[in-house]
Amino acid sequence: MSPPTAPALRVVGARKQYESMLGKPKTAVADVSLEVYPGEVLGLLGPNGAGKTTTLKMLLGIVRPSGGEFEILGRPARGPGARARLGFLPEQPYFPQHVTAAEALRLYGRLLGMDRRRIISRSREMLEEVGLGAEARTQLSKFSRGMLQRLGLAQALLGEPEVLILDEPASGLDPIGQRDVRNTVLKMRSAGTAVLLSSHQLSEVEAVCDRVTILSRGEVAASGDIGDLLNAAGRTSVRARGVGEALPETLAALAEDIAFSGGVWMFAVRDEDVRRALEMVWECGGSVVAVEPKRESLEDYFSVMLARGGVDPDAA
Amino acid sequence: MLRRVLAIAGSVVADAKRRRTPYVVLLFAGVMAAAIPMLPSYSVGVIQAVYREVALAMVWVASLVLALSLAAGRVPSEVERRTVYNVLSKDVRRWEYVLGTWLGLTATVWLAIAAFTAVCQVVALAIYGEAMSVLWQGAWGIALEMAVVLAVAVAVSCVIGPMVVVAVVALVLFIGHSRGALVTSDSPLWRYYPSLDQLVVINPVAHGSGIGPRYATFMFVSAVAWVVAALLLGSLGFSRRDL
Repeated sequence: MSPPTAPALRVVGARKQYESMLGKPKTAVADVSLEVYPGEVLGLLGPNGAGKTTTLKMLLGIVRPSGGEFEILGRPARGPGARARLGFLPEQPYFPQHVTAAEALRLYGRLLGMDRRRIISRSREMLEEVGLGAEARTQLSKFSRGMLQRLGLAQALLGEPEVLILDEPASGLDPIGQRDVRNTVLKMRSAGTAVLLSSHQLSEVEAVCDRVTILSRGEVAASGDIGDLLNAAGRTSVRARGVGEALPETLAALAEDIAFSGGVWMFAVRDEDVRRALEMVWECGGSVVAVEPKRESLEDYFSVMLARGGVDPDAA
Repeated sequence: MLRRVLAIAGSVVADAKRRRTPYVVLLFAGVMAAAIPMLPSYSVGVIQAVYREVALAMVWVASLVLALSLAAGRVPSEVERRTVYNVLSKDVRRWEYVLGTWLGLTATVWLAIAAFTAVCQVVALAIYGEAMSVLWQGAWGIALEMAVVLAVAVAVSCVIGPMVVVAVVALVLFIGHSRGALVTSDSPLWRYYPSLDQLVVINPVAHGSGIGPRYATFMFVSAVAWVVAALLLGSLGFSRRDL
């Protein structure tokens, strides 16, 4: 696919400073720029207080920026009509408690300018999509946190958005719910929707994002293709079974990042040692399950990057 | 634009209908209306006038209680519970949200005023055998004043919490009804004083011949001016606020 020329979302030099009557003003976002293209999922990562949510709120007009440019589908984000084709799932979405799921979606549909018939059909479709088809007439006060999260996703998708902004979409969901969200995001990407996904769940980001932008202290600390950021140059990852309870000493001397789980040994070796390592596995009666370029987990990358910047990775 | 404003207003009305407050206030007003004839006896003709006066005063108090209970916390709670995010992240302008909220609250309170007035009319018909349609003229004044009260309450609640909202509304009502006490009629301030007295027609309705269409129109224009000023300030404050 040839890369589209115009980004669906564009943020340039975003800055937010909270003025204080007493003491110094607090800078929540110092300088953040990002672009998301149609049919692409950009992951926005960072520890607590890095400026992720504030950046999203500035983009949505919920927080007034101190500086920077914000564009949605080529229009200034605060201008009229800019958010007409945008869906947003806030972190832990809240709804009026005394309405049913269908009534809530009816309100959001009307705000999106949809006609009555379209609201009814689309609401039904979206509630089915997020697994709440049987709960359309249930009052939201009876919804669990996970169900509210699913409803939040349904309202974000209701208007068939061209741009989707998800703030911690898997928050409060069980593993099946998390998988469903992942599938929905991938489906939206296939349909050409630009998705900006802010998350603490790095596995989720790894699973669905094409690129990531990592924020630290209100600035972009790293940005790029997830593969480029994570591939550990010169290392190959090997998985083998039937080697025994302990790795042979000669093999252990070559290997690093050794782990054993479910009868399978996992370790990394330098590229030039791959052949020798595989032969050692076979010599001791084992079988090779997988050989692939070693990739750092995003967690590891994140920790190293933040530690370099003097931030406690556990806060991420 | 209008569609979005009406959607927000509709959700405010729907939410109010599900709360207990309007029904409790309506029940209380009904009981009070039924109790008015127990007041000390007056001569024939005067007693109906006293009934009209007390009934309208009761409608005013009940409407004010309802208006403040619904409006003071509406915007702050939506902001605090972050339900406002789902609305404002759509293509909804802040002023549309403020206007829609006021419109929904006003529709709710006006429905309640109509219900209160109808209850008073039923009681009058049952006790005195008189329909007292003139009560609706008093209700018109109360409805307009409540629209102003709601506009002030919504405007203030766009930038600050419910307790301050109640205090500011009380202050506005005090100032609005104190022109006669604070300024003399020959003072240049008399003309420019932000008075709400023109909306109070309980006396001519209860003891006189009511109000004419021309004065009713003047009341409407005056209330619209108050509402527009309050909502403009509220929208301005809300649009400058980080949520």
